[in-house]
Amino acid sequence: MSAALETLRENVRTWLAGNAPKDWREAATHEAFVTGQRQWFGKLVAAGYAIPHWPAGWQGGGRSLAEQKVIYEELARADAPRLLLSFVSTYHVFATLQECGNDAQRARYLPAILEGETWCQGFSEPGAGSDLAAIKTRGERRGDVYVVNGQKLWSTMAQYADKCLLLVRTSSEGAKQAGLTYLLMDMKAPGVTVRPIHQIQGDEEFAEIFLDNVEVPLAERVGEEGAGWAVAQATLSSERGLTLMELGYRMRGSMGLLTDLIRKSGKAGDAGVLRELGRLSAQVDATCALADRFLHNRITGAEQVGDASIVKNSYSRTLRAWADLGVRVGGLLEQYRKPITFGDLNTGNWMADFMNSYAWTIAGGSEEVQRNIIAERMLEMPREPKSWVA
Amino acid sequence: MSMDRTELRDSARKAFGASSATGDAAGNWAKLSEMGWFMMTVPEAQGGLGLGSEAHAIIHYELGRALVPGPVIAQMMLVEALAATGQSDLLDRAMAGGKMTASLALPTEDDVIEAVPDADVASHVLVTRQGAIRVVPLDRCTIAAQPTWDETRRLFDVRPPSASDGVVIAHGQAAEQLRTSLLLQMLLALSADSLGGAEAALAMTVDYLKTRRQFDRPLAMFQALKHRVADLKIAHSAAEALLWDRAAGRPSLALMGSLKTHCTEAFRLIAEDCIQLHGGIGLTQEHPCHLFFKRAMLNCALGGDAFHWEEIAGRAVMETTG
Ligand SMILES: Cc1cc2nc3c(=O)[nH]c(=O)nc-3n(C[C@H](O)[C@H](O)[C@H](O)COP(=O)(O)OP(=O)(O)OC[C@H]3O[C@@H](n4cnc5c(N)ncnc54)[C@H](O)[C@@H]3O)c2cc1C
Repeated sequence: MSAALETLRENVRTWLAGNAPKDWREAATHEAFVTGQRQWFGKLVAAGYAIPHWPAGWQGGGRSLAEQKVIYEELARADAPRLLLSFVSTYHVFATLQECGNDAQRARYLPAILEGETWCQGFSEPGAGSDLAAIKTRGERRGDVYVVNGQKLWSTMAQYADKCLLLVRTSSEGAKQAGLTYLLMDMKAPGVTVRPIHQIQGDEEFAEIFLDNVEVPLAERVGEEGAGWAVAQATLSSERGLTLMELGYRMRGSMGLLTDLIRKSGKAGDAGVLRELGRLSAQVDATCALADRFLHNRITGAEQVGDASIVKNSYSRTLRAWADLGVRVGGLLEQYRKPITFGDLNTGNWMADFMNSYAWTIAGGSEEVQRNIIAERMLEMPREPKSWVA
Repeated sequence: MSMDRTELRDSARKAFGASSATGDAAGNWAKLSEMGWFMMTVPEAQGGLGLGSEAHAIIHYELGRALVPGPVIAQMMLVEALAATGQSDLLDRAMAGGKMTASLALPTEDDVIEAVPDADVASHVLVTRQGAIRVVPLDRCTIAAQPTWDETRRLFDVRPPSASDGVVIAHGQAAEQLRTSLLLQMLLALSADSLGGAEAALAMTVDYLKTRRQFDRPLAMFQALKHRVADLKIAHSAAEALLWDRAAGRPSLALMGSLKTHCTEAFRLIAEDCIQLHGGIGLTQEHPCHLFFKRAMLNCALGGDAFHWEEIAGRAVMETTG
């Protein structure tokens, strides 16, 4: 490793030793979680480690791939909290505005993100999950606003969000993808109601959003009217690919939780357990290598359709396998319910982590949908004929 | 993979064509020596091309893809051993394509050296025993052909006349080091060979599903099959990313062993599904499915199996983590 990278690693490590929150896993209430997340994000921004994947010109942006790796590795090593509350803002919003937004939108929203403005993603609806283009929430153009009516579902952290990436239907003519428009909505606008939903592990991580005559100014449209589907692809590609370098390295950093458990449970000499651990560690390393390669291809413009789907499925399965090994090694004791750590994927609370791993096999387009993309768009296998009639 | 490596890959691809066993062992061997690949990793000062292990992996990837027969992995190990120990006469012969060989099994303290490719036509064999590494002329050894299921490769059991026969090229600490570097090289080669084979088998299967029709449509239209193929693609991509990552670094034996296991298992998974997805024709000798399958199974067994390497990798994780 080059001297410059070694220096960066030293700097990050020293900084984390003095600044990374220690007791965040004990933050039991949502208020404590939200406050903790905001403070931690603010510190990371100031230190220049919050957005290594943004381009140069931003505080800590413009990092090379190797530098990003170092930062994520050190964050994982320090067991620093994951930035769940700023996740959509720093990845999804950034990628969407970067690729499809206009200068005014970038100038207004990107700096605000660094000051703590948080976002949620309002794509899914009760009748439109995997079939995202089937959304029904309507955006009606009236003068210089869109008036929005409908309902969004499964929107992560919507209850704390200031803004929302919103996909609406502005036309029902032609192909269903052609009638979609992409808006940036203020969550504090009149007519927005949020209702949190209890997730499988008992937490309220996502929410429903009800939209009742909400007015969104025309200036808050990303891309042209009717071009929403293409803009949404930019958001999804970021969710499926860009985010995974950080997540992969965090999973790798969490291998220690597993080895601790193996030691504690007296199975450190068990050849069967060691083999599973050995196999898993290769899988984890492969996922990290895949995420590295994805980012490299993205930066050099060599990204291909389906690449992000491959990284996402590889990560989500490996995450499942990681948590599953913990559940099995921990045995009966893992079936005793323990208080959960809100918002993290690798906590060592194995049953909670295992249940949470479904977040990545379902959210952002399920495993099955990614497989369709790989088969049909990457390997160019034919689509099934639309012969079914209701 | 870096840009100058793509050149190497493209020239290999041109030389060996698309997938399918060419079967012409002699012709392939001649091509390999003409292209200078036996001198690829030898330092320039010793008359080689001075390329690193990434280049080495690229070549084996392409050889695997085209199911090229012959003892290339063994030859490269011998070349490495001769270069590391300054045996220039033998080295020059080996770099020029003079066939020499080495065992592709993990070394044991047995009298018999197992899994030695092409021992009947090679001049020398590399022998690791009793803390020393020797180069032994094969005309003094007892050689027993062992027909293997994988017909793209020919393996032999070799019994050297005595434990002290041949030229000692390293002993003690130096032999231990050399043994490790040869093992690393073999494991990397087997990993690359496997993923090359896996790539070809998968491409062949996708093509077949697009052309074969049942129930009035191409098989490729059925989602159950698309999803299986997508899974194979994911398995291959992940293993390949790991391969290039580790080929470019300096992994420990534990990490290289787990790479070999990961890649050979991916090959096996893909080769097995390749047969299943081809249906009846996949179970015949007329169709190349079986060649990939048998090569995959042999690669799983060569150089130490999954039981061996996964346990070592697990132990290494326990020692370095937490
Ligand atoms: C933890 C979590 C967080 C989320 N966060 C957000 C968020 O912030 N914003 C947002 O907009 N959405 C979010 N989602 C929603 C997510 O994108 C959807 O849940 C997902 O796209 C699947 O849609 P669905 O739940 O309606 O399932 P369905 O589409 O009804 O699918 C049910 C099952 O059928 C399978 N299936 C569906 N179609 C096909 C097909 N064509 N071929 C084969 N199988 C198929 C699916 O894979 C799945 O297994 C989140 C979801 C989760 C679980």
